[in-house]
Amino acid sequence: MKKLSRIAATAAALIFSFSLVGLFSGCSKSNGSSNVLRVYNWEDYISEGGDGYVDLIGKFEKEYGVTVEYSTFGTNENMYNELKISAAGYDLVCPSDYMIMKMIAEDMVEPFSDEFLASGTYSTFVSPYIKDLFAKNGWTKYAAAYMWGTMGYVYNPETVDKEDLLSWSGIWNSKYDNKSTIKDSVRDSYFLGVAAVYKDELNELKAQFATGELTDEQYNEKITEIMNRTDENTIESAKNSLIDLKQYLYGFEVDSGKQDMITGKISINFAWSGDAVYSMDEAEDSGVYLNYIIPEECSNIWFDGWVMPKGANTDLAEKFINFLSRPENAVANMNYIGYTSAVAGDAVYEEMLDWYSEGEEGDLDENGNPLVKHDLNYFFKDTGDYDDYSIWVSEESLDRQVAAQYPSGDVLYRSAVMQYFDDKANAAINEMWEEIKGQPIPIWAYIVICVVIAAIVIIALSFVYKGKRSEPKPKKGYRVLKRGI
Amino acid sequence: MTAFRFSRKQLCIPYALFLILFVVIPMLLILFYAFTGEGANGNLTFTFGNFINFFTSTAKLSTLLMSFTIAIISTALCLVIAYPLAYILARSHWKKKYVLLMLFIMPMWINFVLRITALRELLDLVGLLGKENYLNTIIGMVYDFLPFMILPLYTTLEKIDNSYLEAASDLGGNKLTVFTKVTFPLSMPGVISGITMVFMPSMTNYVVSDTLSNFNITILGKLIDEYFTTFNNWNMGSMISIILLVIIFVTMLLTGGFKDNKNEARGANLW
Repeated sequence: MKKLSRIAATAAALIFSFSLVGLFSGCSKSNGSSNVLRVYNWEDYISEGGDGYVDLIGKFEKEYGVTVEYSTFGTNENMYNELKISAAGYDLVCPSDYMIMKMIAEDMVEPFSDEFLASGTYSTFVSPYIKDLFAKNGWTKYAAAYMWGTMGYVYNPETVDKEDLLSWSGIWNSKYDNKSTIKDSVRDSYFLGVAAVYKDELNELKAQFATGELTDEQYNEKITEIMNRTDENTIESAKNSLIDLKQYLYGFEVDSGKQDMITGKISINFAWSGDAVYSMDEAEDSGVYLNYIIPEECSNIWFDGWVMPKGANTDLAEKFINFLSRPENAVANMNYIGYTSAVAGDAVYEEMLDWYSEGEEGDLDENGNPLVKHDLNYFFKDTGDYDDYSIWVSEESLDRQVAAQYPSGDVLYRSAVMQYFDDKANAAINEMWEEIKGQPIPIWAYIVICVVIAAIVIIALSFVYKGKRSEPKPKKGYRVLKRGI
Repeated sequence: MTAFRFSRKQLCIPYALFLILFVVIPMLLILFYAFTGEGANGNLTFTFGNFINFFTSTAKLSTLLMSFTIAIISTALCLVIAYPLAYILARSHWKKKYVLLMLFIMPMWINFVLRITALRELLDLVGLLGKENYLNTIIGMVYDFLPFMILPLYTTLEKIDNSYLEAASDLGGNKLTVFTKVTFPLSMPGVISGITMVFMPSMTNYVVSDTLSNFNITILGKLIDEYFTTFNNWNMGSMISIILLVIIFVTMLLTGGFKDNKNEARGANLW
């Protein structure tokens, strides 16, 4: 088997090197050397080898005989600024959803070639769900999805009632005082605020969808509209709602939430599905079983995707995307990163079966209950040879990793993609965020400031007073001698 | 071969280069960003908009107020803790006092992020974490910056000529009078130096406030960071930096931090 794959790899490399020669002879590319690929990705966002993981970059370099210059960024905005400063510095970057939209809108990215779109490995194996989502929003031509997921709550079922978290507003509750955290990130927290503000409207839509008044597409459209509202009223209400939430929170977090869940400092964490999987895995190692839930009103579908900045070495960039989209490489990435790849295919499905499947139809779980079907056809259909892409798991497992990694189809009807907000809305939302973080100011802070100001005034006055008094007053009958000036 | 001879002027070149590259140019850049912005047609224009925005935004003003409060309390606590210690150490004739001094200074040799992370766990153990956010932040600041207060105080107090104190007692001053009329006034340069060393970073060191308050408290440094990294608004970020700079400049001016009084400040002023 190993030998076979090596032969295949050599053959592929040979074929590719021939095609490279062809490329060189007829090539008139202006940008740099065409066998260097400059990739700009999130930190820790590709399988890098070591510990039994696959070194994907090394594999790509060897297979195609090229050099990859790999660098990483920490936030979308850093990446964006870097691109603004050196526009032609990278061939392939991996921003998040809203940043991709912004970059497309600002005409910063190159379109994919027709060949890539028609018959590339990526187009063959990318999940039909992701493909639809991209086509519907008009991103297909410019962006290739890499990882995706939802947002929800990770919680400890021993201390938290699942019932409470069926709604996003479940953490606005003194029952969980100092037990929950949300993200220290404007966009994610704004989403939470909006979901809490429009709770009733969202529930009404849900009822309409349940009775069949709305089709799944209409339902999704309406939810997307609500979750992307940025009018003044919405911002103001979201602000008040989040300031109100602060009294119940343990705090905000960037990265510490996962660890704090595991050590038990907190029992509810507003998290991305990929981080949720990580927390659940790690906690299991120390004997704690955590769950993940996507509240009933709505959720956020997020994704990170590859785009080629203007002037990129598009040929090699497309090859790299196709390389990463081979299901076996997607599996390597999922193993390493822990997030869910946008790529489907049998290799991915089989890996998931290996991870999560607890039996077949009709089997019983440990407690003697029949296994339930977790239907993933929406994601895997037509990317491989299986007729039915489902995983049979126990009912409890649906609260755990498998559902965080692949939500069930009905969750997706109520999941909205958050759009890029224009500059004005962005400024207003940032201002809102500052106020949330800065308020309320405790009364003692005013007292301290007043005391300090009073002290300064007193000291200043005493100087002035002293200065006056120290001037010797001439006694009656004496004249003040004028000292030389 | 002509012998190459250094003159004093040539020795200055590296420092001048350093100053220009890492102080003057960055300052000018910050100034440039602070007073520019995108005009109506998307061009770069000169504007006071950022300045006005800062002083009309409740969010920013409340952050400023909170940073002030935290910095003032931390500085005051540092002074109250450090002064007696520095006084005792400086006045004592104990031969091993350097060991004690070193013990207080030693935490400075360990990376402060590490210390703050450890402190977070400690506060969790005591049960303060997540409940007393302000207290935690102040504890963190005091813990972190105490050595910066002890050192200048110790150096000043140690340098005070003992004969002044003896003269004061000879002239009938009791211990309290000697302290308030002689020792304390003479140690003022150290006090001021310590205050500036603690006050400035307490307003900006957001690693402490973020880690120990679970991101519940925003101080000015954090605001600047957010404007640069997540809000993607370098102009406002630069404006806040400039305002912070002016505040610190004014405090130093008021406390006489710039005074170059050789007799008082002999070696004590770390500045």
